[in-house]
This record gives sequence, C-alpha cells and structure tokens, in this order.
Amino acid sequence: MIARFAVSLTIPDNTAYTTLVALRHLGIDLERIERAELYEFDGDFDLAQLEATIRTIETIFNPNKHRLELRFGADPLPGEVWIDERDESESTATRVTVAGRTLQGVRSLRRATAWRLFSDGKTADSATVGRAVETLLCNPAFQRAQYDPRTTTIASHA
Amino acid sequence: MSVAVMVFPGTNSEDETLRAVEAAGLEGRLVHWSADPASVRGFAAYILPGGFAYEDRIRAGAVAAHDKLMDVVIEGAQNGKLVLGICNGAQILLETGLVPGTGPIRRPTAAFAPNAHGGRFRSVRVYARPVGERARSPFLAALGAAPIPMWASHGDGRLVASPSELQTIEAGGHIAFVYSDEAGITSEAVVPNGSALGIAGLVNTRGNVLAIMPHPERDGLVFQHRDGAEKLAAMNDSKAMLAPSGGSAIFSALAQALGAGVR
Repeated sequence: MIARFAVSLTIPDNTAYTTLVALRHLGIDLERIERAELYEFDGDFDLAQLEATIRTIETIFNPNKHRLELRFGADPLPGEVWIDERDESESTATRVTVAGRTLQGVRSLRRATAWRLFSDGKTADSATVGRAVETLLCNPAFQRAQYDPRTTTIASHA
Repeated sequence: MSVAVMVFPGTNSEDETLRAVEAAGLEGRLVHWSADPASVRGFAAYILPGGFAYEDRIRAGAVAAHDKLMDVVIEGAQNGKLVLGICNGAQILLETGLVPGTGPIRRPTAAFAPNAHGGRFRSVRVYARPVGERARSPFLAALGAAPIPMWASHGDGRLVASPSELQTIEAGGHIAFVYSDEAGITSEAVVPNGSALGIAGLVNTRGNVLAIMPHPERDGLVFQHRDGAEKLAAMNDSKAMLAPSGGSAIFSALAQALGAGVR
C-alpha cells in the first residue's frame, strides 16, 4: 500500500512568504501560497502504527509547530505542485529508517515539497502553476514537478 | 581595479572573501542587497561569496538568482566582466544559468544539488585540481597543475545535470576543477558530495565566469592551513602567517586577469 502524509507549519511559513514575494516580483500575481512536506511511504504496514511512529520523529513532525495530515489520492490538489528530486531513488533496502528509527513494513520512502498557489480567491489555474514551476519552483536539472494539468480551480477558504 | 563582493541576506563568507581579494592586491568592497543597482555597474568584477543567501529558501541559490543585483552581475558577465561564485555563490551562478551557460538565462541546465547520502552537510578539507585548457579561462590561465587546498563546506554540492548536458559540459571544456587528493589523483573517496565527474568547479562558455564549490578563501592564508611545512616555518612570525598561500591562487588569478586588462 501507499500512504502519503503532508507535514505543514501551524506557525507563519517564512519560506512560503518569500516564495510568494519572489513569484510576484517575477510577474506572477498570487494571493498566497501554502507549503507542505510530503512523505510517501510504500510497503506493507499498519497505517495507524506508521502515523503514530511519524508523530514521534521530531525531524519530521514537531507537535509544537506542525500539523500532520494523511493525504488521499495519488495526484496533487488543484493549484498544487509537487516538487521532488529526479534521481532520489526509492529505497530497495529491506528496512527504511528515518532519523535512526526503523519504519516497520515500509519498503520505500519518497519526499517532495507541495506548493499550493492561490489567486483571486481560488486555487491558481494550471497555467499559473506551470509558470511558477518554470520560473522558480523547479530546477529541471535535478528536480521534477507534478501538477494537475487540468484547469480546475476551487474557491479559497483562507 | 575594484571588485564587488556581493552580500545577500544569509551570505556569511563575505569578510574572509574580501580579505582574500585584498591580499591579492585588489581593491574590494562589500555590496549589500539593498544597494542601488546603478551604483554596482562600475565594478571591474563580481564575487558571490558563500553562505545561505535568502536562507536557501525554495532551494540553494534559487531566490538570490532573481535578486535585482543579479541583473547587474548577469549583464556584466555577458559583457565579459569576471564573475566568481564560491559555494553558495556557485549555486547562485548555476541557478542564473550563467554557468555552464549552455541554456537561456535563469533557465538552469545544471545544479549543485543536495550531497549524496541524504544531503548531509559536510565540512572537510579538500584539494581542487585545475583541469582543461588554461587559455580557456582567465581564472585558469595563471594556475599550474598542482591541486589547490580549499575547504568544502556545504550540504548542496553535488553537481547534477542530464546525461546529455554532462556530455556538453565535458566536451565543451566547462570543467575547471575536479576534487583530488594532494597528489592530484581523483577518486570517489576524495569527492565529498557525490558530484558528477568529481566536478568541483565549472566555467561558462566564454570562460569569464567561474563557479567553484569549495572555499579557496578559507585556505588562502598561511595560518589557515591545517598543517604543512609552510605553516611550521611561519610560526612566531605574524607577517609570514598572514601571507597569501594555497587557495589564494584563485584570487591571484583574478588579480592577474584584471591587471592584464580582462574587463
């Protein structure tokens, strides 16, 4: 099975803010940006146990400043792009460890950064996301970007 | 000849870089990110020192590459001025696309990505051996074959590019430095970050822009050497201890190039 967790800040996200300002300077008119670290686990594991373990690994999740969400669906949300390293090979080891902790039943772990862009009170359309990817968010020399190619947008609720 | 040492929020190696510039006989000046771009155009050369410009937000060098002062640096490089990027400065140069310079500006074709084995930050003494044609770049023209001592101090120093781009980099003579041991031998063991082809430094097509990952300025004066006969001989002699040596060769090459009329 594959489980994907998103870890985001509950405190102001300075990196997201810098990115917002930089993209505005580059002529991309955005209202706000949300950022999360995505952890995608593949293997044969007990989901509740995995989540409980992750909640104890402070290099991933610090309860004082993070929220942890289980993400359903294999694709980015509207207005969202996932950036990960092109050559970050999936672990083929029999045990996956994070910060010295063994994750029972996990065969591989992939990490990505999820950027979600909002404009005009709704999620940004894919053309806008694409421009942000091309101009700033992704260095194609070693990263790849995955985003919804459809132009679906949903209303912002922030 | 005045050299601008550019300072972005998060740059942290500007003082020792300026000292290395001055030790090479050049006049240097720190130029902060708040400077009026028009006032920066008059410099003969630009150095982007190490650090964590804009806290490496998004990725190393990505935000600084779009700073308004980089417009001036890019313009200067395109007009043939000498530009040196060290560590974070090298990351910025690759993000601007100035190096290796095989694609459009601000459309990077290569990157200094997180180190192999989990992107762990490493600080180790290394040697960088100049390679390729010396006439290829003013930075290389004055250098011999001997490896130059420097300090690798980074979490994102692994050169990555597509296989075809790596081929272009190699065939186009863009490789300026590779990691080696003191004897000049390159092996996997001496590359601190998993960098492709053992690359420590790259030049652009014209040869006037050098991006080098390890820090020459941190091993550029005798007292900075970890050990060796030169340092032992300088004991109890402050002037000898402060004499340029080792990594200062890069700054001497810059001085020589500027003195020789390379704009």
